[in-house]
Amino acid sequence: MPTAALLTLSLLLVALFPTAAQASPGPAASMVRISTTAQQPDYSVPWNPGNVGSGVGAGFVIDGKRIMTNAHVVSNATFITVVKEGDPTPWEARVLHVAHDCDLAILEVYDERFFEGTKPLQFGGIPALESTVSAYGYPIGGNRLSVTTGVVSRIDFQPYSHSEVDSHLAIQIDAAINPGNSGGPVMQDGKVVGVAFQGFSGAVAQNVGYMIPTPVVRRFLKDVEDGTYDRYMDIAATYFPMLNPAQRAALGVEEADTGVLIGSVFDSGSSAGKLQPGDVILSVDGLKVYADGKIDLDGERTEMAEVFERKFKGDQVKLEVMRGGSKQNITLELDRPWPFEMQARSYDKRPRFVLVGGLLFQPLSRDFLDSQKDVDTRLRYFFDYYVTDHLYREYPEVIVLSEILKDPVNTYVAPFKGGIVEKINGQRIRSLQDVATAFGQPGEFHVIELLGEGRPIVLERSVLAEAGERIRQRYGVTTEQNL
Amino acid sequence: MHLSSPSFFRGRGRWPQRAAALIVALLLSASLGQGMETLRQYLPTAEATPAPADQTTPATEASPAMAPEAGNGPLPPVVRVNVASQSYNFSQPWRKNPPVLRQGLGVVLTDGRILVTAELVNNHTYVELEKPETALKAAAQVEAVDYDANLALLAAPAADFLQSINGARLDETAAVGDRVEILQLESNGTPVRTPATITTIEVGAYPVDENAFLVFKLSAPLQSRENSFTVPVFKNDRLVGLVMRYDPRSQTADAVPSPVIQHFLDAAARDPYAGFPRAGLTFSDTRDPQLRRFARLPNGTGGAYITKVQPGSPAETAGLKVGDVLLRVDGKTIDQDGNYEDPRFGKISLAHYVSTVMQAGQKLPVVVWRDGAEVQLEGTVAPRDRSSMVSEPYIFDAPPKFVIVGGLVFSELSRQYLREWGPNWPREAPLHLVYHDRYQSELPADRGKIVFISGVLPGPNTVGYENLSYEVVEEVNGRPIRSLADLAAAVDNPTGPFHRIKLAEDPGLVVLDVEGSKTEEERIQRDYRLPSLRQLDGAE
Repeated sequence: MPTAALLTLSLLLVALFPTAAQASPGPAASMVRISTTAQQPDYSVPWNPGNVGSGVGAGFVIDGKRIMTNAHVVSNATFITVVKEGDPTPWEARVLHVAHDCDLAILEVYDERFFEGTKPLQFGGIPALESTVSAYGYPIGGNRLSVTTGVVSRIDFQPYSHSEVDSHLAIQIDAAINPGNSGGPVMQDGKVVGVAFQGFSGAVAQNVGYMIPTPVVRRFLKDVEDGTYDRYMDIAATYFPMLNPAQRAALGVEEADTGVLIGSVFDSGSSAGKLQPGDVILSVDGLKVYADGKIDLDGERTEMAEVFERKFKGDQVKLEVMRGGSKQNITLELDRPWPFEMQARSYDKRPRFVLVGGLLFQPLSRDFLDSQKDVDTRLRYFFDYYVTDHLYREYPEVIVLSEILKDPVNTYVAPFKGGIVEKINGQRIRSLQDVATAFGQPGEFHVIELLGEGRPIVLERSVLAEAGERIRQRYGVTTEQNL
Repeated sequence: MHLSSPSFFRGRGRWPQRAAALIVALLLSASLGQGMETLRQYLPTAEATPAPADQTTPATEASPAMAPEAGNGPLPPVVRVNVASQSYNFSQPWRKNPPVLRQGLGVVLTDGRILVTAELVNNHTYVELEKPETALKAAAQVEAVDYDANLALLAAPAADFLQSINGARLDETAAVGDRVEILQLESNGTPVRTPATITTIEVGAYPVDENAFLVFKLSAPLQSRENSFTVPVFKNDRLVGLVMRYDPRSQTADAVPSPVIQHFLDAAARDPYAGFPRAGLTFSDTRDPQLRRFARLPNGTGGAYITKVQPGSPAETAGLKVGDVLLRVDGKTIDQDGNYEDPRFGKISLAHYVSTVMQAGQKLPVVVWRDGAEVQLEGTVAPRDRSSMVSEPYIFDAPPKFVIVGGLVFSELSRQYLREWGPNWPREAPLHLVYHDRYQSELPADRGKIVFISGVLPGPNTVGYENLSYEVVEEVNGRPIRSLADLAAAVDNPTGPFHRIKLAEDPGLVVLDVEGSKTEEERIQRDYRLPSLRQLDGAE
């Protein structure tokens, strides 16, 4: 996903609390300033507690004595306080629900008296292009509530930078949105029409801010009604426009402007066993699919994906498919989200690892890769082409010998750092659990084989216990595995 | 949403950047890195334009202790070699890049033939000899070239051309610590001799391949001059080597040494050219005591742990296996690092013994340690068949292969193609192609070549396919594709009104109209002025 230039509106380091102010009518009575202390996991030294930082974001009171904000405002949080306009007291809050795939979160306050005098905001629809909206928040430039106004510039699918793999509907506005606006409401006619969440850094573009529109917000609120968040469902298949007449004719598609071609179907997704590469999707839930992948929905020409976007776990989607020259009706049950979380940024999780004889084994993931200084061609390929070249079939997890804590037991092993583990003690390694299991095998030697041409790494079991104790002490290792 | 997003085909520029392509054509060895760069990198004008008549720096600029000597002694056994060359453009394979001129020194051998580096003559269109003092010129022919060893031999010109020049003989004594002289010419023909010291002799990387041969490393304050290809090194008027890389910061030079030159001359004396043999294996050191105990290797013995045996190689034929530990090769004891004791150079990698000391076709008896006992095996060393590789490490003197079908351009993966992305091609070229090239030995033995869509010449026939880029082709019209020849045969035999092209990557299937493609190909050939829609045999 082309998200490189997008920067999440990061939290601002602010030490002061806003001074008391008169509660004014309108959104001010619903505004919440959120202070978060967060601990970022350390993927390069995974047993480390991690770096502690703090920041400030915005939120607003919604029905049910809840506060809505962005997921990135409260991710990895260890302590959250909220302050309402006109009240100097910080109230301790906690995360009730968080949706990292659409960057939304709901907080609750331990002491319900916090909500006295607040007014829950109501949600509106999708604002019209060029209509005026106002963004509320606590952005850089001062401590008190800030209001900026602008117009709706664009309504389109956009990558959501918080997870780096998700795209949903987003609305671009030209009201100034800056770090600290995150989680704040964007208002029109007294209703929330969006939640400010990301923008470009000033060096890339000016006056481009994005808000999460209400269809995404309402979907989140509906998803969590049963107490758990199931994530966005996904058909877990790739599809492509069919603009070439020969391609259309060869696949038996008669209408000149209809159909998208299925490129790949991923084994563990909702379409597995239902769709096949080479299928042509002609309609979705009775809506004609145009050859460029668009549909007419609610009077708007929009992406076919919007149909899947609005559905929930267990919902069905009815497809009309051209396969081998004949039309078929296929019903998918959307019961699984996008299966390849390895490529997404993760939050509120401890890094997983196994440490044996100073050799650190970690599963390949975006967080892990970002923590590495030098990434060789093989690892880059395994990450970038994990889905495209179907590497997930052979490697449900890609286990990397990510670090070698130098010690007499492993002093000849240094050149193997960064290799992908193929076998340990003769067993194929396809998950971190496999690593732990394989090292539990009896025998005089542990033999680790990496992918590619290299000698096996041999560790003598008899010296491992002593070496392990030595390495724990020297390197401050608090635990030797987290599966 | 993820990949389902109809952001459609992966968007990339259709062709690698032009400027990068030119740089690569000029700097073949830049990818070797390690701080060593070619001499030519510091002499861009020597490539593109003939050297001005008088541009050399006075010799007195060098420090007195190391002052090169310009003298009138006997004529050195060198001639200028002027080469016009024209490389091929692998990203637009019907194109040749603009011609460039290169100048170097050729070393006149005792039989009147002239030795140069292969880099000087690659993709040559015209080779000319020039006598340094009289500027008398004569056309020359390349008689033998070995790009792996970076050496080429030019046929002897008419006898009177080299009158008054005594050919050089190869040195057989130079060793670490020896003082030698690097020979260059002033523009007026006066020889300039720069003293140098041999600091290291080891097996190291050569410009075009991952294969390694013996390298003499020299410490020398070398000046940049126009004759920067093939700078010869002498010791007592005998040829020690040809400088192939120079790093002005550390003032160190890498030279192709006389043993490699001698092997090349011996191999060139045989018809066909015999080349440098290989065993076809890779090995690792056995310093790790835990590995030694695991392999049950006796203490105090050496041994090289075999980590890969190439299919079809002499090593495989001999019966060597991964996990064997090489103890002796042709009677030479192999130490823990895979070195043998060379009578002249001391500890040198086994790779030198097999590739350079031995000749192709010689028997290679080996003793390996397997399952706790010694096993005797014997193979016959032979050069590697480069054309059998999935991705050839270099392609010179032959146009790139391609096939245009209805506006889609298909190419075969080679490292020469990837080098179109410039010196940093391993990071900038399409990652899956870099990966398949780098780890081609892990592909199935019957993989054949990797054929992919290298570009699209947009037209009515390819509507919707404009953004295809670098997708690997698996099947065309039901036939598996293991070479461009397979692809050509498949499109020549359509099974119906459509060509069905199955791709390994999304979108998975591309369909072209057979008749529409023919019409489009005529238009493309006319409008783009292509001499041909196909180049398959690799020869002009």
